[in-house]
Amino acid sequence: MTATRTPGVEARSRAGRQGTWAALGLGVLVIGALFLIDAFAPSLFAASLPTRAQDGLTLAISVLIESLPFVALGVVLSIGVQVWVPPGVIERWMPRRAWARRAVLSLLGMVVPVCECGNVPFARGLMMRGFTVPETLTFLIAAPIVNPIVIITTHQAFGFSDGILIARLLGGYAIANLIGWLYSRHPDPDGLLTDRFRETCELVVHEPGGRGRRSLAQFVIELRAVMPALVVGSALAGAVQVLIPRDALLAIGSNPALSIVAMIALAMVVSICSNVDAFFALSFASTFTPGSIVAFLLVGPLVDVKMLALMRTTFTTRTLAGLVVVVILSAFAIGTVVNLLA
Amino acid sequence: MRSAGFVGTRWLGVGLASVLAVVTLGLAATGRLGLYVNPESAWFAVGMAIVVLVGAALSFTLPLGAEADHGHDHGGAYEPFAEHGDASDPVAEHDHHASHPLAVAATTIGGVAASGVVLLTLVLPPASLSAELAMSRDIGAPPLFAGSDVVTLAATGDTSSFGVGEWATVFATATNPDAFDGDTVTLTGFVTPGEGTAEAFDLTRLVITHCVIDAQPASISISTPAGTPDTGQWVTISGTVTANADGRLKIDATSVEPIDEPEDPYEY
Repeated sequence: MTATRTPGVEARSRAGRQGTWAALGLGVLVIGALFLIDAFAPSLFAASLPTRAQDGLTLAISVLIESLPFVALGVVLSIGVQVWVPPGVIERWMPRRAWARRAVLSLLGMVVPVCECGNVPFARGLMMRGFTVPETLTFLIAAPIVNPIVIITTHQAFGFSDGILIARLLGGYAIANLIGWLYSRHPDPDGLLTDRFRETCELVVHEPGGRGRRSLAQFVIELRAVMPALVVGSALAGAVQVLIPRDALLAIGSNPALSIVAMIALAMVVSICSNVDAFFALSFASTFTPGSIVAFLLVGPLVDVKMLALMRTTFTTRTLAGLVVVVILSAFAIGTVVNLLA
Repeated sequence: MRSAGFVGTRWLGVGLASVLAVVTLGLAATGRLGLYVNPESAWFAVGMAIVVLVGAALSFTLPLGAEADHGHDHGGAYEPFAEHGDASDPVAEHDHHASHPLAVAATTIGGVAASGVVLLTLVLPPASLSAELAMSRDIGAPPLFAGSDVVTLAATGDTSSFGVGEWATVFATATNPDAFDGDTVTLTGFVTPGEGTAEAFDLTRLVITHCVIDAQPASISISTPAGTPDTGQWVTISGTVTANADGRLKIDATSVEPIDEPEDPYEY
């Protein structure tokens, strides 16, 4: 069909090209309209939300604006690994043994400059490329912690005092590989994934057309998967912050065991990006035990409210429940060890 | 029905992302991005917002539903506007999972909630966090992210660039309070209740590391003979740093000027 072009096909492709330009023009128009709404709508609606709702919305918007660039970067990288990197290029560099592959993948976060929100679309790209579910989980859990920016900010905040930085890095690496190993023993790894994600994998593998078209299709699919979860997760994080009084969590104080529980709960609620959570934790360092700070720094990037909403796009609720239990128990154990040593 | 579903796919993905990208660029253009994120990371937010919008404009050239297309029956040729009217369309085959009533309800509720939040973001004017929230976040410990170099810097005498956050760190951690006794300061913040007397209040400011969700209150004690303004009122105070007999620092205000909320309500 492509070899012998009939005049009819030529005419159709010319019409198609015109249609493409028209569609592009429509897209630009719609975006222009959005800018106009953004510029003029606020003067029509006076800010009349109740204080608490407004605070919740402000918090949610700040998480959204802060994470959108990372999600966009994650989607771009996901398109990269899925569409543009030729088959076999990554795979050739990987060790053969399953545990060694996981160990290497958990260090992938070192070279992939996305923080936790961007990791989800990137990890989906890895799975569409054919990486197994346990391998991808290992990457997803390790990357937010074993990440150059996170290491730098944690070092800026804590230096090497109380072994917090070391415990965070080794702990994150250990938890990721533990989870990878646990789920690699699962009889049916595909059962860990949502039906919707498995269908998406089916689709993108057989996506027709050139790379440009496949990239666009991937762009549409990934944003559709991630954006509603991101918005709902951010809204939850904002709402929880204005509804649960912080002193209720912090009244637990400096008890070695309870302080760890309190900081784990706080970490799940506040949903701060792992790039900066060290600075947030720093202000609790004077009242809380070092072990509880480590637990905060381990749990927050992995299973906070926002991340759970994002991961739910890909993994079943059952899988996530298992994940949360393993992460919290490990973080509690590591925190306790740090408290005993410090 | 099916094309409605495809429009929904576009709106919930590219649409939501585009609205947020537009809001980001709108805030950046009017210099108000600092209401939500630290201006230091603005270049990244703006750059990726542009990437999203370019991708969004290009995605209009992808026919509706093409992203759900398996591509069989088309001989692999690139036909952007080919008709997909065949009844055995793969989308129909794949939709049966989503047709469970609970799943449909969850998808719908999630989609409506996400759209609502994003549309509110678009049409409501940006706002800063309230004084009530700042007070509920006060855990009694000062934010220490400023680091020990602030105290070192303060001891050398150059405190002219200090805001409430830096002074709160100094007040809480200085080991030689006398070194600051007599420094004159002019600071802006909002009023929160202090130790309970009518002549004292706390001057508070929210300090942000990265984005508003990590905002933490920093406050310093002010004593003023003129009486305490209302809680939440923004004020500019001038006065001198004084050390108590027990070594705690506070500020004796000579003037307390009520002002409107400044354009940059946070410190970074």
